[in-house]
Amino acid sequence: MKNTTKIFDLFERSLTGPIMTEKDFDMKCVSVGIAKAVKKYDITFDDKHIINQDDALADRVWEAAVEFLAECGVYHQDTSRIIKFSRQEIEDALRDAPSEVRLGNGTDTVVERWRSVDDERPPLNAGSPVGTPIANKYFVPVMQSYIKEPMVDVTTGATLETVGGMEIRTRSALEILAAWEEVQLIKHAAQMAGRPGMPYIGVQMSVSDVGHISAAGRGDYPSGYTHTLGIISELKSNNEIFNKLAHSIMQGGIIDPYANPIYGGLGGGKEGQAVLLTAEMIALSVFFMSACNGSSPTHPVFFNDTTKDLLMYQSLSYQAIARNSHILTNLTLTPVGGPGTKKLLYECVAFGTMCSKSGLTRVLGPRSATGVISGHMTGLEARFHGEVMHAATKIDRVAADKIVKKALSMYEDKMGEHEFGKPFWELYDVEKVTPNKEWLDMYQEVKEEVAGWGLPL
Amino acid sequence: MDNKFEPLADSIRGGDIDAGIAVVRELVAGGTSPLEMFSGCIEPTLNVLGEQFATLDIFLPELMIAGDVVNAIQDEVAPLLKQGDSASITKGKAVVATVYGDLHDIGKNMVSLMMQVNGFEMFDLGVDASPKDLVAKAEAEDADLLCLSGLMMPSMPFMRETIEMARANAKIGNKIKIMVGGGPVTAEWAMENDADGYADDAMGAVKKAYELLGIESMSAAS
Ligand code: B12
Repeated sequence: MKNTTKIFDLFERSLTGPIMTEKDFDMKCVSVGIAKAVKKYDITFDDKHIINQDDALADRVWEAAVEFLAECGVYHQDTSRIIKFSRQEIEDALRDAPSEVRLGNGTDTVVERWRSVDDERPPLNAGSPVGTPIANKYFVPVMQSYIKEPMVDVTTGATLETVGGMEIRTRSALEILAAWEEVQLIKHAAQMAGRPGMPYIGVQMSVSDVGHISAAGRGDYPSGYTHTLGIISELKSNNEIFNKLAHSIMQGGIIDPYANPIYGGLGGGKEGQAVLLTAEMIALSVFFMSACNGSSPTHPVFFNDTTKDLLMYQSLSYQAIARNSHILTNLTLTPVGGPGTKKLLYECVAFGTMCSKSGLTRVLGPRSATGVISGHMTGLEARFHGEVMHAATKIDRVAADKIVKKALSMYEDKMGEHEFGKPFWELYDVEKVTPNKEWLDMYQEVKEEVAGWGLPL
Repeated sequence: MDNKFEPLADSIRGGDIDAGIAVVRELVAGGTSPLEMFSGCIEPTLNVLGEQFATLDIFLPELMIAGDVVNAIQDEVAPLLKQGDSASITKGKAVVATVYGDLHDIGKNMVSLMMQVNGFEMFDLGVDASPKDLVAKAEAEDADLLCLSGLMMPSMPFMRETIEMARANAKIGNKIKIMVGGGPVTAEWAMENDADGYADDAMGAVKKAYELLGIESMSAAS
């Protein structure tokens, strides 16, 4: 299977589509369009469950999302035009979209495949700190701490803080050098961990197109690494994104974009978000010619995705996609809790269980402590999160829903407390890259506790 | 709120520009001054909406539409304002943007909107704003505040350069207050880099703006 949207066609549409101001697109197309779709398809939550149990509701979300996307389109910020695909074109492209992709190289190759809602196989565990900043001297041991975990199938990087001792500046030579440094250091970390072919989602440092085009190049970027692209929310593109896309296509790269709708933003509350998130994943597949389709919805106050509402609509949306298409989907776990806190582990339980039971094919993270605290990341939380996703495949959706509620009850009322935990070097032996007793004991304690709730860890 | 203002408040809450203008015309014909409308109705209504947004009881589109109604009302009554009136209905002028190289705009939009509904006249330069453009705009508008948003480390040097350039500007350098925010920014970063204030959310930004400009009452943040 292949992606049948073509770059020339896409580009042409971006030059000929209807002209509109960005504000009108936001309000008239996205905001009004979502509200209309929610009403027409009667998207409501019963608030009794966090993991969606209502298949008919999931199917309505899908219908609403396809109809909305065909009407709304994707905005191009530099041409002020809307790229449009008809409903028929969207459906045709989805039918042809990839349902599996090989990631990585050699003995570390994994296959990402479409999963059903109650699939017996767990999602791939992309264990990593996903762009959280790290001092350069810790980059290799930190990344090793994830890659060496057998539970980790795929990884992506932390964000380097400097290059050549200098602050990194986007769109400059320093971004290009930093992007190269990231790729080289990842390869080194993977080799040191004994998994040289480890699949990598890169380049994190490709803030603009220059870093991406330089470092994700044919010479030195392994074919099994994916090409990440951040798509502007909500449903927007621009020249830089198209430059990255054209480059990656010509490299024969695995196109691995993501779009992050913000809770309470243009899509409104959880009903609208369920439709918008679904539409954005379809848009990645159809408009951005992706192999994989990701998101990291974010709470505007707590900056995480583990609150009750976010868990609910992510579950509904990804079930809608898994039931009605065969595209590959991923989410990034962004907890409030940091390494060395029980809160982080409970958030892993809630999120990992939800993902496992909602048809996700890959889950990134944990991007601990909301992903912005330098050095607050360790491989042990990725081990735990992977174990949760595996264990959740052994229980049914009803039992899984209870586990998620129980886990949520452990942190829900403390969401606003910034328990960012401790940095890597206080929880790991940096030389040996092993967790210390304090962190291992806490991990073990929570694991036993959660097993007691009925999750077979 | 005085009963006579209920229809006006309704039009703002409901995002109905036509109704808002019609009510304002009626009120003006009945002898209500624009200033009274602002202090007696528009400000308190927006404050409540701002609070509801901060707790996610309403969402961004509702707040944006309410802001549009108020903008339309401001245009409608502008010719009727006496000298000095407009100064008392706006709390100050603020230039806002996400800094160079950074395309993250959601948090910046929230800050901008929340400041707008709390009485500031906002000049929003969007995302990816260069230090030069930001300072030129602040100078052209003789702005009281410069609000900079930055979510990515590789864009932080440009935030610092914007501050340096603003401080060096002969016209605004000495008086403009500079506020910063976004993931990698902290209160310490703000201090070290010569900004006047930092806040970690949109409501905090409004409070900080009031504090920096010495504005006392702020019902929404009290
Ligand atoms: C959404 C998002 C995106 C979306 C942005 C869509 C949009 N229209 O804005 C997309 C997908 C486009 C995106 C792209 C990228 N992103 Co991004 N993104 C995020 C994410 C998940 C959430 C940001 C957000 O909107 N939060 C919600 C809002 C409400 O919060 P906020 O912005 O922080 O604003 C609040 C406060 O900070 C404060 N505030 C904000 N501004 C101001 C200003 C003032 C004056 C004041 C007082 C207060 C204030 O008030 C706001 C309201 O409460 C963050 C993760 C995170 N935890 O923040 C990563 C994150 C910011 N992204 C990151 C990265 C790396 C990227 C990419 C480079 C990825 C890539 N390799 O392609 C690209 C860069 C594109 C570019 N050139 O900018 C990193 C940055 C790492 C770093 N520290 O350098 C983060 C931290 C994630 C991570 N750990 O990897 N991203």
